[in-house]
Amino acid sequence: MTTFKLPDLGEGLAEAELVAWHVAVGDVVGVDQPMVSVETAKAVVDLPVPFSGVVERLHAGPGDVVPTGAPLIDVTPTVVASPVASPATSPAAGPGAPAGAGRNSVVGKVPSSDEELIETVTYSRPPAAAATRGRAVPVARALAKRLGVDLGAVAGSGPGGLITLDDVLARAQVGATPPAIAKMAAQAQIAPTPLRGPRRAMAQTMTLARDQIALSTVCDDADIEAWGKDGGRAGGYTLRLMRALARACAVEPALNAWYDANENSRLLLAHVDLGVAVDTPGGLIVPVLRNIQAKSSDELRAALVAQKEAAHQRVLTGEDLRDFTLMLSNFGTLAGRYGIPQVVPPAVAILGAGKVRRDAVVVADRVEAHLRMPLSLSFDHRCVTGGEACRFLAAVIADLELAI
Amino acid sequence: MVEAIAMAHAWEMQADPRVVVIGQDVGANGGVFRATAGLQQRFGETRVQDTPLAEAMIAGMSVGMAAQGLKPVAEIQFMGFIYPALDQIINHMSRMRHRTRGRLSCPVVIRTPHGGGIHAPEHHSESTESLLCHIPGIRVVIPSSPARAYGLLLAAIRDPDPVVFLEPARLYRAVRQEVADDGRALPLDVCFTLREGSDVTIVTWGAMTAEVLRAVAELDEDGVSAEVLDLATLSPIDSATILASVAKTGRLVIVHEAARNVGVGAEIAALVAEHGLYDLQAPILRVAGYDTIMPLFRLEQDYIPSVRRIVDAVQATLAA
Repeated sequence: MTTFKLPDLGEGLAEAELVAWHVAVGDVVGVDQPMVSVETAKAVVDLPVPFSGVVERLHAGPGDVVPTGAPLIDVTPTVVASPVASPATSPAAGPGAPAGAGRNSVVGKVPSSDEELIETVTYSRPPAAAATRGRAVPVARALAKRLGVDLGAVAGSGPGGLITLDDVLARAQVGATPPAIAKMAAQAQIAPTPLRGPRRAMAQTMTLARDQIALSTVCDDADIEAWGKDGGRAGGYTLRLMRALARACAVEPALNAWYDANENSRLLLAHVDLGVAVDTPGGLIVPVLRNIQAKSSDELRAALVAQKEAAHQRVLTGEDLRDFTLMLSNFGTLAGRYGIPQVVPPAVAILGAGKVRRDAVVVADRVEAHLRMPLSLSFDHRCVTGGEACRFLAAVIADLELAI
Repeated sequence: MVEAIAMAHAWEMQADPRVVVIGQDVGANGGVFRATAGLQQRFGETRVQDTPLAEAMIAGMSVGMAAQGLKPVAEIQFMGFIYPALDQIINHMSRMRHRTRGRLSCPVVIRTPHGGGIHAPEHHSESTESLLCHIPGIRVVIPSSPARAYGLLLAAIRDPDPVVFLEPARLYRAVRQEVADDGRALPLDVCFTLREGSDVTIVTWGAMTAEVLRAVAELDEDGVSAEVLDLATLSPIDSATILASVAKTGRLVIVHEAARNVGVGAEIAALVAEHGLYDLQAPILRVAGYDTIMPLFRLEQDYIPSVRRIVDAVQATLAA
């Protein structure tokens, strides 16, 4: 005989009130058959028969309050056929799962239902499927969203057709609304002129320069009164500026350099290859005078005249225009006092010389009229400090102010 | 599902005399949830043995039996009671093959109910699968339907290496399904695609498949086509199926009942970040239990990820 005691009904309650028995003394009972209803503080709970056998004794009657752990029923186990379906029969027919019984565990309440599960399940490993959408690096995807670019229309240039940031940017520019100028040209029935040659090169170079350079400009004047009357003859200003730049490079080498933004490194250069801006009807051309620090005044003059002529004749080769280490724009021969010259990478500095004029200057507390050259030095502040730039400019001025 | 589990036991005990069943109350009582009901009557007390309430002993006995040529299937009554057995599982079971350089394997199945939703007291509603998934040499399997319970348990028993077989307790009697008792195992280490879709991939396992499928039905009404993968084998993960699905849908939501922190969902998210990042159109989202102790039954439905939370997560990935 086995005594079954009132279990903890999983709610931490100390007792339960017996509501009704569903079995009687002498009954042959099977596992999970409804046995007794008890009421806890919260609900009426049905307890199933815990083991098969014959009921010998009921320890309490309806209305009795039974403490948890007190004897409830005595059953003498009998050898009965397994109440569980043998594996040969349908499991759903097993008596282990009375429909809606809801209490098939010693602990807790296992939800149960008669709902039929119908599922179509596959488990074969799929072959590596080709992506049906554009594969994109996440930052490109984010940018595309911001710019309103449809990734489906973007051809990826990365490995395996991966869409990169550049691909999205290129697509965004292609897809941009045509500027109003095209519409206006169409209305005026005039064809826009495509930029070619030096103008086209300038557009590209300056776009690059604008996007990359942290431009900073410092301005001052050189008092060139000491030059006397010969100072202003043809080529004279430019020659003096070239010499002043070469000497300033010796004083402050940081401005005669190439800066590699990708590697974040700079290359201080011993030679000075000066790009000199030349204004031509075809556009801005910048021939390069090599090793100006090692050339005599006559050699420089000859080289300058030859390169300017070649620029106007459009006979300069790529070699003549490449790899300047510093740049000079003598714009003052036309007009203009100060300017903000644009540094062209990988060089880090450019000197602009404005129109020479007679200024009222204070000399020994008296006002005198002196010839002065306005100077504008632009530098790439990523690579050049303000101190370096100002020391360089001071050295330029110091040399320019010499009589000869 | 619980009958399918008993059925799989019986089939394999009939087919393979090395299979033995041990655990507290598995014999005369037929198991705390009746998952081993009838087995002792049919196969006798030698092959179906009741043990004391001593999980470390149950696991250790299994290791010894396996080393001597038996194939023990051991029941731990609730996942919250498995911790005393972890020493045997981690220090011996998982590494027997490694320790003996392949001379011995350890063909043990540890079965234990998993998860909440059954109004149980403390320690009876745990879903701490990630503890086990972290251990090399242990396979962790969890079915989500009677058919998969039958097929995967057979596969687990037949596997020459140790398997922890988690049984979602609230699915034990949740639905009925016709299961052919034909001894056919299902493959381990693969995901089961419960539903094909094109807009988002939802990876889940165990009892959460029920909430996920209800969420998917709701999403259907909004015109959202979700693909549902039942992970089934939690370790090792079938990354090929997941990655192929994400390549197709571009979005991934992972749903598990276990706490979020260092859950299996984190491993899946990392796998997809490593190998499928360029296919993703939105950040991966996880819907998980909270990083708290599993609450008692009055609050357990607030802990278990709801249909609402799953739908919201899917909508959030679609809006991203």
